Amino acid sequence: MRTFTTLFQKELRESWRSFKFLWMPLLFIFLGISDPIMNYYMEDILNAVGNLPEGFTMTFPDYTPADILLASTGQFQSIGLIVLVILAAGMINRERQNGTALFLYVRPISFTALFFSKWAAINLLAVFSVILGYGASMYYTAILYGTVKPLLFIQMVASYCVWIFFATTIALMFSAMFKTALSITFTVILLPIGVLIQSLIGQFWNVSPWKLADYSVQLLTQSENEYYLKTLVLTIVLTVIFMIIGVLFTRKNASTVKI
Amino acid sequence: MITVQHLTKSFGTQTVVSDVSFTLENGSFTALIGPNGAGKTTILSMLAGLLKPTKGTVSMEGIKDIRKEIGFLPQYPQFYPWLTGLEFIEMTAKLSGISAKDAKKEAEKVLEFVGLKDAIRKKTSQYSGGMKQRLGIAQAIVHKPKLLLLDEPVSSLDPVGRREIMNLLKQLQLDSTILYSTHILNDAEEMTDQLLFLKKGQVVEKGSLNEIREKFDVPRIRIQFAKVEEATGYASQTKWSTEVEGTVVYIHIKDHFPTMQQVMGELSNYPFTVLKIERELLTLEEIFMKVVSP
Repeated sequence: MRTFTTLFQKELRESWRSFKFLWMPLLFIFLGISDPIMNYYMEDILNAVGNLPEGFTMTFPDYTPADILLASTGQFQSIGLIVLVILAAGMINRERQNGTALFLYVRPISFTALFFSKWAAINLLAVFSVILGYGASMYYTAILYGTVKPLLFIQMVASYCVWIFFATTIALMFSAMFKTALSITFTVILLPIGVLIQSLIGQFWNVSPWKLADYSVQLLTQSENEYYLKTLVLTIVLTVIFMIIGVLFTRKNASTVKI
Repeated sequence: MITVQHLTKSFGTQTVVSDVSFTLENGSFTALIGPNGAGKTTILSMLAGLLKPTKGTVSMEGIKDIRKEIGFLPQYPQFYPWLTGLEFIEMTAKLSGISAKDAKKEAEKVLEFVGLKDAIRKKTSQYSGGMKQRLGIAQAIVHKPKLLLLDEPVSSLDPVGRREIMNLLKQLQLDSTILYSTHILNDAEEMTDQLLFLKKGQVVEKGSLNEIREKFDVPRIRIQFAKVEEATGYASQTKWSTEVEGTVVYIHIKDHFPTMQQVMGELSNYPFTVLKIERELLTLEEIFMKVVSP
């Protein structure tokens, strides 16, 4: 436990001093507010800049608050997710490649503590950013479109965070297994591109961690989804399995540290 | 006492270290000497627990988990640039099992000992090469290990820094057993109790400096004359077996003869100008070349 707190403190210091706690939340806030504002003012924007032909009329759909939050989730799932998992995919292997991990590995430390210090650090940053991002999105949605039930909103954010844990755990596991170039490649293929594949051909299956983000937003409309719980449980089980694999590889690959 | 037995390391079909055995007495200062690629770093890494030996054991009298009793300084220490010296040493102290309460105190003490007192609140990215080496030593000794492993501790430093680090190590020897690798032989010559010569992953020679010197020394007397003709003239007239190199004549000593007195007595019979006469010892460098050359 002492190893964990010591290493966790080190990780937080790094995140703090490299301003990750500033730019990551800013990124999510920016992504969060862009959809409610863009959609609301789209007509005005088009009128102001567009050379629309005389007499041209366009009807804009009436968005519900849930539609806007779904759109914001789409933003988090593309740009936000890529930035987050690429960060996680370099956490363990970069230290081994530049040799800084040597001073940890020559000590009687637990590799479980090492893995989870990084897991906790990246997810603290992620959850912080996601809450602020959704908060910002909800703020403008509430002003421009209307509100949702607070409890359902909290449920949605919490459920989305389970997906984020799943994503960062995969990235960290690859980080423990491979060198940075390879781990980032695999992570990007499995997560952001996985999300893309999911949105293209996802209608052929119902239970998959990649669906969790969409299902989370559906919680807002309170429509019964028999697959939600199964997806949630599957995601958690897979996350735990990937954690175990990650810890094992953190230990196994300790000898690849640059001496 | 630390005992290393039959230590072997192979990577695939390539054997980097093969069947290395030696013992380190408590409080001794041992140098691993060998050319590049002889396996020095691999041996130290195995002792530090960073690499798993293919075969063989490392044991420390009365200690189970030897990782707790080891301090390791790599050849090129890399630090987290965003930590200050004090934060870094405090962290390594805690990871070595020192309580959070004492860690800061111990860190400050050890940083003062290595001479970084004025830089403890600076980021390590602002440290110079010599300061990084000191910081590396500080992290290796903060938990007072029984065995200190140093990989080329002075090779990257200038003569002044080298001298300072060697003096530091001398002070450390009071508390720890030290094993270090080097190819700078002057350092080894000065303060080492035991030398281990490595060649292609094997220990080819070991012992104290005097033992090794006796074994490899070819004693000779070196006489330097003022002129080349004098040297050749002397060589042709003397009864000892000689070798001439310019103005220098070497007399080989066999079974302690001739003695210096005999040679000087003989020289006084000739009119030659002698600039210098000395009994020569092989330098460690010459011994090194003899031991490791094929």
